Amino acid sequence: MKSITWISGIIGAGLLVGYSLRLAATPAMPVTAPPAAVSADNGQYKVGDHLQQNPDLVATPYKPSVNSDASYKEIAWESLIPKDWDAMKPFKGLKLDKLQDDDPRAEEALWKAKQYWKNAPIDPSMDGKAIRIPGFVVSLEREGEALKEFLLVPYFGACIHVPPPPANQIIHVHSAKAVKDIRTMDAVWINGVLKVDHSDTLMGSAGYSMTSIKVEPYLDKSTQ
Amino acid sequence: MSFLFPLAAKSAWNRRYTLGLMLLAIALSSAMLLGIERVRHEVRDGFTQSVSGTDLVVGARTSPVQLMLYAIFRIGGATNNMGWDSALKLAKNPAVAWTIPLSLGDSHRGFPVLATNFDYFRHFHYGDGQALQMAEGREFADVFETVIGAEVAQRLHYRVGDHIVLSHGMGSMHLTDHADKPFVITGILARTGTPVDRTVHIGLDAMEAIHLDWEGGAPMPGLTIKAAQVKKFNLTPKTITAVLVGLKNRAAVFGVQRDIGDDSSEPLMAVLPGVALDELWQVVGVGENALLVVSGMVVIVGLAGLVSAILASLGERRRELAVLRSVGARPFDIFLLLALEGLAVMLAGVILGVILLTLALLALGPFLSAQFGVTLHPALPAAGELTLLLWTILAGFVASLLPGLRAYRLSLADGLTPRL
Amino acid sequence: MSNAAIALRDISFTWPGQHTPTLALEHFDVQAREQVFVSGPSGSGKSTLLALIGGINTAQSGSVAILGQPLDTLAAAKRDRFRVDHIGFIFQQFNLIPYLSILDNVLLPCRFSAYRRERALAQGADLLAAAHALLRSLDLAPALWTRAVTQLSIGQQQRVAAARALIGRPEIVVADEPTSALDSDRQQGFLDLIQHECEQTGASLVFVSHDQRLAQRFDRRIALNEINRCAHAEENA
Repeated sequence: MKSITWISGIIGAGLLVGYSLRLAATPAMPVTAPPAAVSADNGQYKVGDHLQQNPDLVATPYKPSVNSDASYKEIAWESLIPKDWDAMKPFKGLKLDKLQDDDPRAEEALWKAKQYWKNAPIDPSMDGKAIRIPGFVVSLEREGEALKEFLLVPYFGACIHVPPPPANQIIHVHSAKAVKDIRTMDAVWINGVLKVDHSDTLMGSAGYSMTSIKVEPYLDKSTQ
Repeated sequence: MSFLFPLAAKSAWNRRYTLGLMLLAIALSSAMLLGIERVRHEVRDGFTQSVSGTDLVVGARTSPVQLMLYAIFRIGGATNNMGWDSALKLAKNPAVAWTIPLSLGDSHRGFPVLATNFDYFRHFHYGDGQALQMAEGREFADVFETVIGAEVAQRLHYRVGDHIVLSHGMGSMHLTDHADKPFVITGILARTGTPVDRTVHIGLDAMEAIHLDWEGGAPMPGLTIKAAQVKKFNLTPKTITAVLVGLKNRAAVFGVQRDIGDDSSEPLMAVLPGVALDELWQVVGVGENALLVVSGMVVIVGLAGLVSAILASLGERRRELAVLRSVGARPFDIFLLLALEGLAVMLAGVILGVILLTLALLALGPFLSAQFGVTLHPALPAAGELTLLLWTILAGFVASLLPGLRAYRLSLADGLTPRL
Repeated sequence: MSNAAIALRDISFTWPGQHTPTLALEHFDVQAREQVFVSGPSGSGKSTLLALIGGINTAQSGSVAILGQPLDTLAAAKRDRFRVDHIGFIFQQFNLIPYLSILDNVLLPCRFSAYRRERALAQGADLLAAAHALLRSLDLAPALWTRAVTQLSIGQQQRVAAARALIGRPEIVVADEPTSALDSDRQQGFLDLIQHECEQTGASLVFVSHDQRLAQRFDRRIALNEINRCAHAEENA
C-alpha cells in the first residue's frame, strides 16, 4: 500500500513535469513527427486542399449582414474575383470537342488561359468591406517569434508545389497584434477590413490587403 | 506553527552534505531545462530579426534552408554560385523595387567576408524595419576599402583607419591570405544584434580584385598583379552567391518566384525568407522537443534522488520525531516538517539553477555572439520559462509530500516510544 | 478525585492489529504535587500507559483524565496541544534535537504551547532568561550552553532534557527511564535534581524505572505488572 503511494507520487511528479514540457514545446508539432518540408503535408491538409466554407457563400455575392462575429461577414474566396470576369474567355470561339487530339491550338489556348488567369484583375468594389475569411498562411515578417505580416492564400501548398494563386486570390495581411504559434501553411481565420491597393506598376491594380484585427486558428470540424 | 519553517531549514542544513548533492542535481537539471528553453527562443528571435523587408532570396538551386543559412546568416555549407547576368536581369524586373547582390567565400580571422555594393547600405533592413547605421566612418568607396560590423570591431579591437588582410575561404584551418592586397577600414557599423555585426563588408569589385591572380582557389605561382594595378582590369563579378530582392508589391511575390524558377537561362530558385525559416524551425523543433523531454527526465531523476535521500533519513529520525511529538507536535506538523524540507531543497535547487544559467549565459554569450551572430540575454526568466519553473517546483512539491506522508504514518504508529 | 493530576479508570487498551489487550487496569491515580515511582519491566504495558497519559492513543474502554480533563472528549489535535501545555517528558536517551541549539531545545515546548510560554515568561525577563535560570538550577554551567548537542555528555544531555520538560512549569513531569543510560554514580544526582525542581515548581512527577535503588527515594511506589491484569496474564503464560 505504501509503495503504491510512493510510486504514484513519483509518477505524479513526472506527469507534472511532462505536462509543463508540453506547454513549452514547439506547438502543434508531435514529438515523433518526421521532419517533412513545410508545404509537403502537415498531416491534415494535402497540396491543393481548400478550406471548407458554407457552399452558399459562393453563390451569393458579398452582402453586409447582421450575423456572424460582430459585423465581419464571412465570404468565400470566389467573392474576391470580379463578378464579370470569365475564366473561360481564352477558350471562347474555340470548340474543344471539334478539335483533333494534339491540335496545337488547344495547347496554345490553355497557355493563354493560364496567363489570363494569372493576370486576373481584382474587384475594386470589395474595397472597405469588413470580411472574415479562412485561408493558409505564408509567413513574411515576424516580431520575435510572433507573426505580424503574412500572405493569406486559398489552398494548401500554394508556394512550392502548385502554381501560385492569381493576384485576386491573395490577401496581404498585417496583423494588428503579432500572433504566436502560427507557421507557414497553418490554416487560420482572419477578420478585418479589406483594402484594394493600387500601384503604378504595369500590372494595374496591385491586390488586396488588410490589417487584421483577429487571427485565429481554423479548426476543421469534420476531422474532429 | 510557522516556526516549522526554520525548523525544517535547520534540519535540512544539518544534513547538508547529503542533501547538497541532491540540490546540485536539481540545480543543474533545472538550469538545463531553462537553458534549452531560453536558447531555443533567443535563437529563433535572433534569426527572425536578422532580415526584414526582404521578399525573396535568390540563388542557385539548392535547399532553401541552406541558401538562407549561408546567404543571410553566413553559416553552414557554401552553396553554388549564380551568374551575374541573372542578377542584372532581376534588377530590371518591373516588379522588383531593389536588389542587393551578395558574394561570400573569404574570411578574416574567423569572421566571414561579404562582398556587396551600395544597395546593401541603402536597402538592407533588419529587426523591426531598421536600417543599417554607421557608428563611425563611411561606406567603402574605393576598391580596397572595407566596412566592418560592430562585433568584429569589438573583438579584434579595430578602429577606422586600420589595415587588415583577408583570407581565402572560410573555416578554421590554415588559410591562404590575400597578403598582397590589404584593406583599410573606412567604416564601422552600429550594432544590430544580427550576423551583420560579425561580417566584414567589401565591394564586389574588391572581391574580384583580390582573386585576379588566383585560379581554382589558389594563387597562380609566378603571376602577380599588384594592388595598384587592379583597376586596369574588369572588376565586374562573373558569379555571386545570392541576391536579396525587395518587391514593389509584397503580394506579387509568388508570381516573381515562379518566374525566377521557370527561367530557363539559369537554374535558379527564389526563397521566401519567412517560409524557409518556418521550415527550418519545423525540422529543428523535433530535436528541441527531444532535448526538452530529456531535460525533464533529468529533473525527475533529481527529484527522485531528493525524495529517496529524505526517505532514507527517516529511519534514524524516529526518536527525533517522538521527541517532537512529546513537546506537542501533531502528526500533521510532522508531515509538514518533512514536506517543507523537500520543498525547501527543491526551491533552493531551482533558484540555484537559474543563477547557474545566468552565469553560463554571461560566460558563453560573447562566444555565441561571435560565432553565430545571435545574442543571448541573461535576463530574468520570461513568461514561458516561468511556467516551466513553476511546474517543476510543483512537481517537487508533490514529490516532497511522499516523505511527509511516510513520516506522518510513522509518527502515528510510533507515538512517544518508537520501537526500533 | 478532583485533585488528581492523573486519573485512569477501568482502562482496557489493545493496540491496533493485536488480539489481546496490553493494558487493563482498574485505576491509576497521581495527585497534584505527588511524586510516584513506577516500576515496570518491558512487556508490562509501560509504553501503553505513557501513550495513554500523553494522549497519543485513546483507550477502547475506560477513561483517562488529566488535571480533571477527560482526554477522550478532545480531538486528536487538541490532545497534542493539551499534552504540551501540561506535561513535560524526559526519555531514556536521544532526548535532544541534534540540529537545534541547547537553548532552542529547552524552549521547544514554548514554541508549541502558548500556555507554557506565558508561564515561562513569568519566570524570567524573557524566554532566554527563563531557560538560563532553569539550566543553572540543573547544574549546567553557562559555558556549556553554546555547545552543540553532540558535544555534551549523556548526563549533560539528560539535564538539558529535564530543563525542557520543566520550562514553563507544566503541572506534570513524566520521566521514562531517564537514568538508565547514565553511570550509576550519576543516577542519584540526577534524581535529586529532578525531584528538587518538581518540588519547587509544584509539579507531579511520574518516574518510570526498573532500578529499585532509586525507588527508595519515593514515597509512593507502583509496580505496573501488579496492577496491569494483562501483564499478569503474560507472565503466567
